[in-house]
Amino acid sequence: MQHSLLLAPVLLPLVGGLPVFKMNTRTMRRNYITGLLVLEVILLCLIDWQGELCHVLSLWGSARIILGADGLGRLFALLVAVLWLIVSVFADEYMTHEHNQSRFFGFYIMSLGSLIGICLAGNLVTLYLFYEMMTLLTVFLVIHAGTSKAIDAGIKYLGFSVCGAALGLLGMFYLQGNQTTDLFIAGGTLDAALAVTNASGLKIALFCMLIGFGAKAGVLPLFAWLPTAHPVAPSPASAVLSGLITKMGVLAMIRVIYYQFGVDFVSGTWVQKVVLALVIYTIFMGSMLALKEKTLKKRLAYSTVSQVSYILFGILLLNSEGLTGALMQLVFHAVAKNGLFLAAGAIIFHIYKTKTYELRGAGKVLPITMWSFALYALSLIGIPPTAGFVSKWFLAQGGLELGVLGLIGVAVLMISALLTAAYLLPIVADSFFPGAEFHYERLHQPQKRHINWRMRGPMLVLAVGIVILGIFPGLLNWLIEPVTALLFS
Amino acid sequence: MSQFLLLFLVFFPTVCAPVSYLIGRKSKGMRNYFVAVVTGLELAAAVLLMTSGEAAVRLDGVCGLGLGFAADGFRCLMTLIAAIGWFEATLMLREYFAHSRNRNRYYVFWLLTLTGTVGVFLSADLFTTFVFFEVMSFASWVMVIHTEKPDAIKAAETYLAVAVIGGLVTLMGIFLLYHLLGTLEINSLYHAASAVESNGALWVAGLLTLVGFAAKAGSFPLHIWLPTAHSAAPAPASAVLSGVIIKTGIFGILVLSTQVFRYDYNWGIVMLALGVITMVLGAVLAVFSIDLKRTLACSSVSQIGFILTGIAMQCLLGHHNAMAVDGTLLHIVNHASVKLILFPAAGVIYCTTHTFDLNKIRGFGKGKPLLMLVMGIPMASLAGVPGLNGYVSKTLLHESIVEYIHLVPQTAGLFTAVEWAFLFAGGLTAAYMLKLFICIFIQSPAEEAHWAGKKKYASKLSMGTLAGLVAVMPVMGLLPNKVMDGLAALGRGFMHGEAPAHAAEYFAWANLKGSLISLCIGVAVYLLIIRPFLTVRDCTGVSYPDRWPQKLDLETGLYRPLLCVILPFIGAFFARVAEGIVEGTVHLLSDLLYRGQTRNVCPPEDEEFAAYDAKPKSRVGFRYSFAYSIILMGIGLSLTLLYVLFKG
Repeated sequence: MQHSLLLAPVLLPLVGGLPVFKMNTRTMRRNYITGLLVLEVILLCLIDWQGELCHVLSLWGSARIILGADGLGRLFALLVAVLWLIVSVFADEYMTHEHNQSRFFGFYIMSLGSLIGICLAGNLVTLYLFYEMMTLLTVFLVIHAGTSKAIDAGIKYLGFSVCGAALGLLGMFYLQGNQTTDLFIAGGTLDAALAVTNASGLKIALFCMLIGFGAKAGVLPLFAWLPTAHPVAPSPASAVLSGLITKMGVLAMIRVIYYQFGVDFVSGTWVQKVVLALVIYTIFMGSMLALKEKTLKKRLAYSTVSQVSYILFGILLLNSEGLTGALMQLVFHAVAKNGLFLAAGAIIFHIYKTKTYELRGAGKVLPITMWSFALYALSLIGIPPTAGFVSKWFLAQGGLELGVLGLIGVAVLMISALLTAAYLLPIVADSFFPGAEFHYERLHQPQKRHINWRMRGPMLVLAVGIVILGIFPGLLNWLIEPVTALLFS
Repeated sequence: MSQFLLLFLVFFPTVCAPVSYLIGRKSKGMRNYFVAVVTGLELAAAVLLMTSGEAAVRLDGVCGLGLGFAADGFRCLMTLIAAIGWFEATLMLREYFAHSRNRNRYYVFWLLTLTGTVGVFLSADLFTTFVFFEVMSFASWVMVIHTEKPDAIKAAETYLAVAVIGGLVTLMGIFLLYHLLGTLEINSLYHAASAVESNGALWVAGLLTLVGFAAKAGSFPLHIWLPTAHSAAPAPASAVLSGVIIKTGIFGILVLSTQVFRYDYNWGIVMLALGVITMVLGAVLAVFSIDLKRTLACSSVSQIGFILTGIAMQCLLGHHNAMAVDGTLLHIVNHASVKLILFPAAGVIYCTTHTFDLNKIRGFGKGKPLLMLVMGIPMASLAGVPGLNGYVSKTLLHESIVEYIHLVPQTAGLFTAVEWAFLFAGGLTAAYMLKLFICIFIQSPAEEAHWAGKKKYASKLSMGTLAGLVAVMPVMGLLPNKVMDGLAALGRGFMHGEAPAHAAEYFAWANLKGSLISLCIGVAVYLLIIRPFLTVRDCTGVSYPDRWPQKLDLETGLYRPLLCVILPFIGAFFARVAEGIVEGTVHLLSDLLYRGQTRNVCPPEDEEFAAYDAKPKSRVGFRYSFAYSIILMGIGLSLTLLYVLFKG
């Protein structure tokens, strides 16, 4: 009975999202959504994350749907649920200038169910099913605006995600026969004898899975959906897309590497090196393209491409510092990037600007938004005392242990940090220091939409969070240490 | 108690920063008092710390690795200088800022910068140093950009770029150091470094770490930010920038030179090269400058060169480094004290004249004896006139070079050249100070000067503060063995200097000779170069044309094109190639998939009539053309060919 509690956090948003489609009064919808998301967080806190399993149903053959609760799942699930709640508060106010709000929020809530499903998945089949479900549900967030541009972007998103997942599936088929069990076990589940005889096949399968699941995480070569999908989606949707949904690709990759193949099998193979090289290239490429991009949200999307690859870099190092850094970067990037997209949303909402060069003087008009923006930016660059610095520190220490490729990776991290500074700080500088001669009337809009505390609150919470986490990263120890301790004991 | 003091010194200004903002929204006068009280308390705490002896405190887990603070003679002294600088500048700010906008914002970052600076000076490990170094860099950026005038914005851009790039390179170095040494604790760096086998890796790490600190200190070739940032910032801010903040860079360099590379000959040569180039270059720039604050800023670059030379001599002299250590420390103190007076004094001139241009402030000081003393004494001190404090440190630095010539006769030729470069740079110092002094106090003002009739030019508080600081200089200079030697002893623990065998005889002929040579060079340069070539004499008086060739500007000539055009182009090329391959494949695939189809799209605003997308014009001809079929056929043929080749 205790175990079926695991089903609750998955089903709650999936089922609870349905009535939202029919709720047309804003107050009621707001209260309902907030209540539901708070309940979701409470449910997740109630779960005893000690590796218990819940067998839901058998599909065919040995394939079955299993939910499990372990430390890694806890980290991801709590992160997702809490940020989903914070963004929803912002979204409620932001979406007032868009149509079809009920539809948006319906899919918004339901997608959370699929994300929690991925976090709680106990084996690859379950993970894959929820993964596809997430793609299908979140497409509606991307195409919400309904313009032909949005629909094109949605199709692109769908295409890349499905192709990626298919590649993953291909790997799964091959992997299936070489496992002792289908569950996620720290240290891997490969059959020792078969792992030796089928080594080259398994490596190809691993490569396919990493590239496939990397599509969601925005790694070369399947990253191109990100810069297309993010700018057209409503800002709260881009926030969760960029901050959290890309992280599901990361989660899938951690599961594959650490819980299916195992560190011992992966480390030192060509797969590790090739993917690591791809990831390092992505880090550089994302930052460089962001620097050259002039649309704010698109620039942030490219930035995500680069930043999520920081996480993957840490994961592929296959050592304890690297993984710690990766998990920290995961949390910090999620917080900062959610915040950045919310800030971009607030800018669109209040002064109708989407280009980076139009933001001169915005700091005077939107002080809290731009202050938060500045703090998120500092964290993305990795300037102490914001959080990004801590994760970068661990990533670099992990990287230096690996040898030449790691050293190159750390150097690229630094170059990327410089590029990050180059594409974010001028925005901050221009918005706060437009020049003594600047006329603020230029920013006034005929139709004023005021930013109230429902929009400022979430941004402030995230901004304060990023600083507090930077000063006291130990606050996350209870989430991160169990994972690394288990994987590198 | 001392532990509490340490934490208080570091974090108190940060805690007060938001409070000052809130107070400032209610009452501006109250806020000014509040900030003055805060910096005053900081000063009191610094004095207390000085008297309470050594202490250390660690905050485990903060910012990842944990922060560590320690207090010893050198750290306390630097903190004291910082506190004095901030207190004095805060008192000066009130008058300087009387008609300025956005003061609230300024004060917040003013206090944050103080935290950063004190944090660097009190740090016990390089991690802490770096954390506060970055805090300071970013917080002080707001001080540079404060006025928001075009030149301030450009200067701030440069400042930020140098700070970010320097910071990241240093961070990379610290990563490597930590990886190699396993510790960043400043006191254990030496032992850890001597155990390292691969010298090459240690050097790479050390040089990378050096970059950010050297950039902040204003060493060649990264000095470019300094002249523009100092000129653009409000004068009291330039005072702490020049007097205190650039010394944080020196702090980092000292950690590297006296711990990681203690007594390392090669490192000493590197530092010596940097030092000599910086001190001569800065002085030459200062001689050419026609702007009061820019001259002082370039002078800072030059003086940093002197300090670097002292650090280099510490490394070279090994166990005989007594004079180099004392000279380095004293020159840090002297330069700080001189610049903490000259910049605010320049601010006093600005308050009345609203310009720093030498042509427009010419003759401002005529008939203002107090101002003449307040500016004249520090100028003379920095030029090394005997009887003032600057003379003492310059003599020590000079003697350390002479000592090395005696110790190692093999390289005597090289070091005699260094000695002459040193004397020459000292001469240039005298020359540009003479130029400033004569311009402000001797020459008569232009007739159209709008301030000509005004009698009152500064408040009693401002002049009193400055005069109080100036009064210390002759005392220090005339009683060197009592005052200066005591100060110098504070630095020996940190820099690992040996105590000198006997007290130095500062007023012996051998020592006076060096100073006199320098001063003679100075007068000669003024009379033979500045007067004939850098000034123009006409009926209205003397004017100062800008004779510095623009082509020689490193920033516009090299760094900006490199960083803004060339490197981004190369980087973007590689990034776009990768992106292009992916996007191209997608286009190709979608062309194949949607061949011959038009996509029906029904926009929501028009539900009755379906709208059809126009056929994309660009690829239409391609899609239906004969060429397209031929390409596909070609691909098929080549695949077949490949198959046949590999099969056979």
